Amino acid sequence: MKNFIKIERARHNLTQQDLADKVSVSRQTINSIEAGKYVPSTVLALKIARVFELPLEEIFELEEGD
Amino acid sequence: MKTNSLFNVPLLSPAWKKVAIGFFPLPVLLVIGISFSNPQFNPDEVAQIIYGFWAIGFGMLILTREKVEDEMIKSFRLQAFQTGFYWLIWGIGAIMLISYVRYGRFTSEFFSAYLILFLLNLYIYAAFQLQLYQSKKEK
Repeated sequence: MKNFIKIERARHNLTQQDLADKVSVSRQTINSIEAGKYVPSTVLALKIARVFELPLEEIFELEEGD
Repeated sequence: MKTNSLFNVPLLSPAWKKVAIGFFPLPVLLVIGISFSNPQFNPDEVAQIIYGFWAIGFGMLILTREKVEDEMIKSFRLQAFQTGFYWLIWGIGAIMLISYVRYGRFTSEFFSAYLILFLLNLYIYAAFQLQLYQSKKEK
């Protein structure tokens, strides 16, 4: 699954740690999601979308093979 | 979302990691002490004592909370238990095969509950640490 968290973070001027604190996970988890190594749960994905005030599908996108 | 309390596994606080690490040198010291105090001590029991203590050590390590126990860590832990069990089955299969090739039978005195528990906990710990390492490694 592709995501645009890094772009949105830059747009909102947030560090990985800032975002991690806002959604109550570790910075490592945010890093892994951005790198595509970890696919977040629906709850976490919704929390991230809420931080950026965007609909879920504007942050996460299905890829070929998903 | 709440999980049914029946399936909730309480984890130890991170401080228990230090206690767990203490279980690794402990059986070696114990065996040395016993062999001095009791020269008739059966050397076959040495391995079992070591497996037992190390099984407890790894058991504590896999049941100790990380500093931030978020959903990724929980998912790694779940995967580690599944993978650890899978590796154990193959490991036991390999030991049985080696035993059959060498001694002509599948069973061996080498097998014990302590050994199986030690291997299971070791594999779970290894699978967990490997996932943590892979998540930290830069792309």
